Amino acid sequence: MEGLIQGAALVAAPDVLLAIFAAAVYGLVIGSLPGLTATMATALLVPVTFYLSPIAAVATIITASAMAIFSGDIPGCLLRIPGTPASAAYTDESYAMTRKGQPELALGIGLWFSAIGGIVGTLALMVLAPSLAEVALSFSTFEYFWLAILGLMCATLVARSSPVKAIAAMLLGLLVSCIGMENPAGTPRFTFGSPDLLGGIEPIPALVGVFAVAQVMRAMLLPDPPPLERRRFGSILSGQWALTKRYPKPLVRGNLIGIIVGVLPGAGADMAAWISYATSKRFSKEPEKFGTGHPEGLVEAGAANNSALASSWVPALLFGIPGDTITAIAIGVLYMKGLNPGPTLFTENASSMYALYLIFILANIVMIPLGILLIRASTRVLHAPRAAVMPVILLLCAVGAYAVGNNLFAVVLVAAFGCLGFVMERNGYPVAALVLGIVMGTMVEQSFVTSLIKSDGDFLPFFERPISGLLAALTLTALLWPAGVWLWKRRHGRRLPAGRAAG
Amino acid sequence: MHLSDRVTGAVLVALGGLSAWGGSRLPAVPGQDVGPAVFPMLIGFGLVGCGLLIAFGIGHSFEEEEEGSAPGWLYGLRALLPPVLLLLYVLLVDRLGFLLTAAGLVLVMALAFGARPRLALPLAILAPVGLHLIFGKLLRVPLPDGLLAAPW
Repeated sequence: MEGLIQGAALVAAPDVLLAIFAAAVYGLVIGSLPGLTATMATALLVPVTFYLSPIAAVATIITASAMAIFSGDIPGCLLRIPGTPASAAYTDESYAMTRKGQPELALGIGLWFSAIGGIVGTLALMVLAPSLAEVALSFSTFEYFWLAILGLMCATLVARSSPVKAIAAMLLGLLVSCIGMENPAGTPRFTFGSPDLLGGIEPIPALVGVFAVAQVMRAMLLPDPPPLERRRFGSILSGQWALTKRYPKPLVRGNLIGIIVGVLPGAGADMAAWISYATSKRFSKEPEKFGTGHPEGLVEAGAANNSALASSWVPALLFGIPGDTITAIAIGVLYMKGLNPGPTLFTENASSMYALYLIFILANIVMIPLGILLIRASTRVLHAPRAAVMPVILLLCAVGAYAVGNNLFAVVLVAAFGCLGFVMERNGYPVAALVLGIVMGTMVEQSFVTSLIKSDGDFLPFFERPISGLLAALTLTALLWPAGVWLWKRRHGRRLPAGRAAG
Repeated sequence: MHLSDRVTGAVLVALGGLSAWGGSRLPAVPGQDVGPAVFPMLIGFGLVGCGLLIAFGIGHSFEEEEEGSAPGWLYGLRALLPPVLLLLYVLLVDRLGFLLTAAGLVLVMALAFGARPRLALPLAILAPVGLHLIFGKLLRVPLPDGLLAAPW
């Protein structure tokens, strides 16, 4: 209780409240612009968080990402262009509702059920993280190794891409993380004599390059999105309560799927949305209505992606293993601010943890009024010409990357990773796997090499300890899952509904 | 830039081979079997394996083709403008200063996106000034002054 009060005091500080508000507006606007994703919004925020107090820094990341995941629904609904990958799963459905003349209802579902999902996910985080912390205290390098590998493998189970390519992208990320002398032996590797590379490649320039510069590059080739017709919206929230009462099962299921997918290291909001949309269709009483503007799938997937966003902080806070690309960024910020992830965080820094939960809940509550405002202003926000937005984003990439270490080499890295991300995306290699590889490489190698030294080069202890054996089994399942799906598809002659394979 | 799976697979095989070879030449830690070489070599072998699978089209059935027509080669080169501008920024920012370099970057980008001068010129003035206020003044990032120092 004492921790809770201290946490509340931390959150009530004026700089934190201001940070929450500013980050909320920023996240809502960036998320709603087509092509600017939640991850990009978060990555571009990191340089700013360098200069904030620890709680304010974490608050900006949490708030901006939650807002951007919701507001990604807006262009999806109005223009059929998902604002973030997490809303891609149900873009067609919500656009169909707009065409039926119910854009208020579709946007309201996004808002209302996102907020519910976010709050339920936060509650799950509050319950799960401290109780898992007890278990995590007994983890050795073997368990950490498998957890990290499990995270990487889950990251390769991305929807709509070849698992082989995803694994290749992940390995590429691991290879990038080898650069420099941040390895157990302290030997400079792959530095080619360049002093700039000695310190290794920081995740932030890589993230900014892959998610922001590559997006600007893609925009250079795409035509302008269609102009939005001006319209006046009716009441956004009316009818949402009726929907809540009408679809209790999809709501609960969406939240549960979101929480489970989020807690898995390496899998986050995007995957939760795809899976829950598919399950919603599978278990619906009226599956034939899906795709024609039916709210049921929206309810489930809208709740799922926001609850996954909160619960993906469980592995991040406990083990320093990101649940998705957004928490990958958040982990960097946590380390930078001295809130090093680990099971002891919950005992030593209990007040900060309470503050973090409170920020999550606050962010999801603030989302409703600000979200309504944004929806009302969306015709104007979405009118912002790309020719004005994209140049500023590019400049932000340059300044932001420079601000992280006052080093111009970071800007070169941003440009290089922009090209890499662009080429990879074009050829079907998921960049999220690359990023997680870069972020987790050092940890994987550290735990792997330490474990091998402990076991004297023997691989048996990797499977002997009970939890480590369980994690190993999960990892192998994740590795063999695509092969199983492939065999299943062959035998059943591709009768699987689209999107199931994503699971 | 859409390449065939054979090309990207071959690139991965080459990269994996290079990293395994480069890794194997790293000096070992005396008295220890597991040194800095293990990890790059494992990754290298993994990349070679994945590259081969990709080149032979295994796992392709999971992919969904991207919508939209492929632009021509010359038009595709437009995509290189942002990274090139970033590199120019790196080369010029110390000499010209942040305000001028940033203004140039924004102006070129805005024009490349088809903005009229009526939009591009004010943007090229306001965006650098705004970012300088946020990063230089508020967050105290040492942005170089160069030829044109900010008056604040």
